[in-house]
Amino acid sequence: MKHIQIVLFPAFDPLDVIAPFEVLAAACDQAGSDIVVELVCEGEPRRFVGGTRDLALTATATLDPTKPGYVIVPGVSGPVEGDPDAGDVTIPVLLARVADSAVVPLLRRALDNPDIVVATQCGGTLMVAMTGLLEGRTAVTHTLGNDVLEATGVTVVRTRVVDDGDLVSSGGVTSGLDLGFHLATREFGPNVASAVERLFEYERRGTPWYTERALIPS
Amino acid sequence: MTITGTWDSRLKTPLGSLSVLFTFTDVEGELRGTATGRGETVALRDLVAIPQPAGSTHLTWSQSITKPMRLDLDFEVTIAGDELTGSSRAGRLPKTSVVGARV
Repeated sequence: MKHIQIVLFPAFDPLDVIAPFEVLAAACDQAGSDIVVELVCEGEPRRFVGGTRDLALTATATLDPTKPGYVIVPGVSGPVEGDPDAGDVTIPVLLARVADSAVVPLLRRALDNPDIVVATQCGGTLMVAMTGLLEGRTAVTHTLGNDVLEATGVTVVRTRVVDDGDLVSSGGVTSGLDLGFHLATREFGPNVASAVERLFEYERRGTPWYTERALIPS
Repeated sequence: MTITGTWDSRLKTPLGSLSVLFTFTDVEGELRGTATGRGETVALRDLVAIPQPAGSTHLTWSQSITKPMRLDLDFEVTIAGDELTGSSRAGRLPKTSVVGARV
């Protein structure tokens, strides 16, 4: 059975988590699919706080890079401006903490697993790229982070969703909706995705960029 | 070459300042360099040194690091006496200052 594992870690951006979660959960319902959509974390399932007002979400399972399906990596929420030398915990600093954590070896295994598509959302793309795991790949992150992403050895395409085959990335914050619809289209086809668009009263924005590695949805 | 040796330098990354030791060596007339920081030593690529009329040396090179994060950096510095000053740039990000001194 496939799983859609959305990863939680400290300072996660709530919309990055909830947008793909809700879209993909609704798509599974629409398709009558038994794919499991769940919030996961490295280690024991537990509660995490993130966002500008410390919203709490609880992981219900452990991130498992052997489960076929999708692993979705959100970004973090935090101050955009600030001097790390002065102790300011900026978004890059928060991302680097995740990049130094035990979640990364699991993400490496997920990227190496041919039965898993890793999808990164907002600063989540930059977080993974900081570790060097996206060297030579084509991707996008939040608009404020795309110049840094490029300096990590990633080819940046400035759009809302970039499909690089087993790596799908999306831009900032609300792009998580488009990421959810893109993955729903890949998994279930355009009719299911359109039905969820009607249900959610949302129409996808932008044009997804497909690289040569990408599977063009039928 | 008067620039050969080791230079203790500081540069900025999106994660804050980084202390780096640059080492320039003369290998049979060819200038080579390395950068060591956070326990990682990387080679300097496309290293070009142009002597200036006043006796200083203008240097440019590129380097790729993985600590504290994977980053491609381009450098443009001037070495005059025992001082190294200039800038580094990560991709399209704004240039940031680099300062160093001979060890």
